[in-house]
Amino acid sequence: MDILYKIFIDPFMQMGGAPDLLVQTLWEGLVAGMLYALIALGFVLIFKASGVFNFAQGIMVVFAALTLVGVYDLLRGAGVPSGWLAAYLALAIALGVMGILAFAVERVVLRPLVNQPDIILFMATFGLTYFLIGFGEFVFGGNPKRMIAGELNLPSGAVEFKMAGGFVAMQKIDIAAVLIVSVMVAGLSFFFQRTRIGRALRAVADSHKAALSVGISLEQIWVVVWFAAGIVALTTGIMWGARSEVSFSLQIIALKALPVLILGGFTSIPGAIVGGLIIGIGEKLGEFYWGPLLGSGIESWLAYFIALLFLLFRPQGLFGEKIIERI
Amino acid sequence: MASTADTRDTFPKLLVRNARDFGARPSMRHKDLGVWQSWTWAEVLDIVRAYALGLSRLGVKRGDTVAIVGSNRPKLYWSIVAAQTLGAVPVPVYADAVADELAFVLQHADVRFAAVEDQEQVDKIQSVMDRLPNLEWLVYDEPRGLRDYDHSRLRSMEDVIADGRKALAADPRLGDWLDGEIAATKGSDPSIILYTSGTTGTSKGVVLSGERSITAATDTVKFDHLDENDVALAYLPLAWVGDHYLNFAQGMVAGFCMACPENAETAMADLREIGPTFYFAPPRTLEALLTRVMIRMEDASAIKRKLFHYFIGVARRYGERILNGESVPLTGRILYGIGNLLVYGPLKNVLGFSRVRTAYTAGEAIGPDLFAFYRSIGLNLKQLYGQTEAFLYVTCQPDGAIYSDTVGPAAPHVDIRIADNGEVLFKSPGMFTGYFRDEAKTAEVLTPDGYVKTGDAGFFDDKTGQLKIIDRAKDVGKLKDGTLFAPKYIENKLKFFPNIREAVAYGDGRDFVTVMLNIDLTAVGSWAERNNVAYASYQELAGHPMVYNMLEKNVAEVNRSLAADKMMAGAQIRRFLILHKELDADDGELTRTQKVRRGFVAERYAPLITALYDGSSEADISTEVTFEDGRKGVISARVKIRDMTVVPAAAMEKAA
Amino acid sequence: MRAPDDSLKTRIGDVLLAVEDVSLAFGGVKAINGVSFDIRQGEIRAIIGPNGAGKTSMLNVINGFYHPQQGRITFKGKTRSRMRPHEAASGGIARTFQNVALFRGMSALDNIMAGRTLKMNVNFFWQMFRRGPAMREEIEHRRFVEEIIDFLKIQDIRRTPVGRLPYGLQKRVELGRALAMEPELLLLDEPMAGMNLEEKEDMSRYILDVNEYYGTTIALIEHDMGVVMDLSDRVVVLDHGEKIADGTPDEVKRNQAVIDAYLGVAH
Repeated sequence: MDILYKIFIDPFMQMGGAPDLLVQTLWEGLVAGMLYALIALGFVLIFKASGVFNFAQGIMVVFAALTLVGVYDLLRGAGVPSGWLAAYLALAIALGVMGILAFAVERVVLRPLVNQPDIILFMATFGLTYFLIGFGEFVFGGNPKRMIAGELNLPSGAVEFKMAGGFVAMQKIDIAAVLIVSVMVAGLSFFFQRTRIGRALRAVADSHKAALSVGISLEQIWVVVWFAAGIVALTTGIMWGARSEVSFSLQIIALKALPVLILGGFTSIPGAIVGGLIIGIGEKLGEFYWGPLLGSGIESWLAYFIALLFLLFRPQGLFGEKIIERI
Repeated sequence: MASTADTRDTFPKLLVRNARDFGARPSMRHKDLGVWQSWTWAEVLDIVRAYALGLSRLGVKRGDTVAIVGSNRPKLYWSIVAAQTLGAVPVPVYADAVADELAFVLQHADVRFAAVEDQEQVDKIQSVMDRLPNLEWLVYDEPRGLRDYDHSRLRSMEDVIADGRKALAADPRLGDWLDGEIAATKGSDPSIILYTSGTTGTSKGVVLSGERSITAATDTVKFDHLDENDVALAYLPLAWVGDHYLNFAQGMVAGFCMACPENAETAMADLREIGPTFYFAPPRTLEALLTRVMIRMEDASAIKRKLFHYFIGVARRYGERILNGESVPLTGRILYGIGNLLVYGPLKNVLGFSRVRTAYTAGEAIGPDLFAFYRSIGLNLKQLYGQTEAFLYVTCQPDGAIYSDTVGPAAPHVDIRIADNGEVLFKSPGMFTGYFRDEAKTAEVLTPDGYVKTGDAGFFDDKTGQLKIIDRAKDVGKLKDGTLFAPKYIENKLKFFPNIREAVAYGDGRDFVTVMLNIDLTAVGSWAERNNVAYASYQELAGHPMVYNMLEKNVAEVNRSLAADKMMAGAQIRRFLILHKELDADDGELTRTQKVRRGFVAERYAPLITALYDGSSEADISTEVTFEDGRKGVISARVKIRDMTVVPAAAMEKAA
Repeated sequence: MRAPDDSLKTRIGDVLLAVEDVSLAFGGVKAINGVSFDIRQGEIRAIIGPNGAGKTSMLNVINGFYHPQQGRITFKGKTRSRMRPHEAASGGIARTFQNVALFRGMSALDNIMAGRTLKMNVNFFWQMFRRGPAMREEIEHRRFVEEIIDFLKIQDIRRTPVGRLPYGLQKRVELGRALAMEPELLLLDEPMAGMNLEEKEDMSRYILDVNEYYGTTIALIEHDMGVVMDLSDRVVVLDHGEKIADGTPDEVKRNQAVIDAYLGVAH
């Protein structure tokens, strides 16, 4: 009985007892969820357009962040006087590099493999992963680096709000992250819903051959989505890097995206966002209120547990298209 | 009545007035290529003048008849006014008329010109050209497909209008001439000839004068408080009196805007976009709409469905009373308010009824549940009774006195009399001047003192003082004791129960009334499923004692409602049976339009009729049937007969 | 149904597309074997044959989905050994598919708008903001697309996601999308498959109208022989990847090899 009490009653008593702590936990969950959603978004974009699960999405985050920081160092070394100028130049160059990467991936990886089974393309993204690890290490070295958050005018420190009978502290960088991610998601949605390229992308997602027959160029679409995924990766890298540091170990955050995708579906942008938020908030709540019951380590599997619970009821994910088997 | 009619007694004169008084307000809208186009009254006058001049240059002159063939499109309505401007008489024809009907009307009306919608209509007319030696010109609205046609007797309306416009610009005196033409139109002249679709025999051309049309429309515009801010969607056939009256004539008189849908299939979507304030729909359309809503709700999530059904229940309790301005408890008002926010409002929005102030239905009896449903969600749906010969309105229900089984008191300035045989006679301001070129038939429907025979039997209800239409006059019979027997009236009352699909009543020349019923397999079948009643066939279900019990209650209810009318109390149902098979058009028992052929059924089931009247409690019957694959077979059955008790008429009155 | 012969001669012009000696194989299986034929400007050309004759493969070769191992394709005077889908589309070849390939999640309107892809030129910047030239362009294309919607009488389903439409209407939307490309050559892969008689009549009417009023050259694959004989000017017959006959409907009907192929006589 005692264990049931601890699982089903006690955590809620705690929540009710200290609402400020609950708000704090929810906020942290929201921030984490936003970042998860952002990573998942990278996967969804590419999956929608080409049906490929891009294993390299995680390393793209690291590669983008490394490029940004590495180029910044180079620029400072080359004598660019002010920190912010170098930072923004580096940002522009990093964006350019992601563009070139997108272009190269389409030319070297995707185009030769057109009409091959999806599993082959999936394997190709493995290759891409190891190439990027090797290439990144070769150019920028393997040591962890500091993200140039301050130079990019990202705020630091924290603000405290008096609410719910106590205090809630918010990191300014987190607030910035939430704002930036929101703007980015809104921008991407607008782009894909309202522009011609967006329409073409949705067309490609629906039917390759129909898209080809009306003259939509798959190559162009692929470059666009890989570039968009690259921008998403760069943003993720900056935000995540600012909270810790930039290193190759960062790529495991890609694993965080998996439960989000399971939850949100592989093809839905809103799904990625809502899924990310559910996982982020669920994880923080679980860790804080139920974690002590089970000891540490709950973080590594809780997200999957939440996703599995959902899967039991909605196999197609939250927003995925209903899969109807036609006989 | 005469003083205003003197000045504006024709539609062209009204158009001139509207262009002056409401010049910048919309007169017409039409969805074309996905976009709503709109024309102001001033623009319409401008187009109609150019069009009329163009037509006169093709040879249209005073007294000519001009056929108008097609669906609701602005240029066809303008063709009507343009013809009237020249003193010619428009003759609208249903767009879906087959070539033969079309030929009959065009020939009978002796048209020299035809304004048609598109290639389809041009083809149709050209296929019967040999029967129309007097037809000189065809003008068409939609040019698609007609480019390569021989244009020696064919013009696009666009060209005719452009030609008129050019001539007007070149010679200003033509403008004065047009003003003269408009001033010369006479209210007593024929304004339009509407051919009745002719359920009985060949169609007749109902001639309406401008003066009478406008007088009638002025009355009802006042009755329903219509003005230039109203909007109506013209989606019912342009050649039908309802469209010509409700939309065209009332629109001209009140100066309101008429919107034409993109095509017949989009009418429902267009309705939503336009959001009309005045709306008409026959009961069949209302029923189809409701069915669509119900099906959509079945697909909705459980919460939505629960919410929907709960608030529809609330609406059923309070909605009509609120609409009628009766007293309703405060909780009822609050619940209804919430329901309006959550369910009725969105529902009306989906149906395109959000802005409707006045809605009418007519044409056939409407089920009380269906009628109540729309009224309960706040649609001010009323009934009217009318005829082409009356230029529509004979009766209509005023706000606040609405009943599903009556059609209202006499419309303003309409005089109604009930003949001895129960037939409804009327004299109305909009009344026709005669059938075109058919004095014999005109004389037939007019009484010596100038009343029009409607052909419908009816009576004034004691309780409400409103007219009740019970049947076609020729179908109304008498029981042996002289009581009026209106089979369709009784059958309709029975058919409003979902369990009863078809009913056939007998009683003419007999001692009392009996009915044969068909159960509705879907409704009764699902009842059987819910109540664990096992059955293997239609026949078995129809003969089941529990089904008989259930239908007995329905019949008893009909008897109670019959008892409430003094006229009908004697025609209560004494005995009934449930037929062992469904009446079927393949067996000749129904017409192809699903109407019962009473005589044929009586012949076919003669043993059953005999049993209904000789007091036996059951009867054997075997009938030949046609199966779906065309094979023939014989069904035999022993059909049970139930006796009913009759409700005394006086008892009902006391209870009420 | 067809116009009289003398008008035929004026309507039909030079060779628009010719395939010469085309062979296509998947692994070891030969789908098309040394087939040559041409399609003339303004004609309705039918490709018929029993199941597995290589008809659809032929259309796929023409619009660049399949790359033949051998042979040449000459389109508007330019000879290639293979077509690429983008080249075909921008060169004016539009097509429909045997089992309907639509963008299922999009409305009928958006599907047909997608057919305008190649006609849109305004740069990306304006696109982003839907202002200025992009807005004007969008309106202009929308107008064109609305003409097609009007022509095909599908106003009522404009906003309906095509996945929810019945099959016959999906086929019509697909035709609309192809027409939106203002094609010079329209390839129709079994435009009437799975339709009832009324829908077939409608579709035949649309095909004839497209051919007559827009002068579009049409190549179609169809199983319904009545339709083929009524609609087409010339017919090419394939069987087991080889051409066995080519000529007017009447000639083909009398051809012994064709009769054998359809009756399943062993080779």
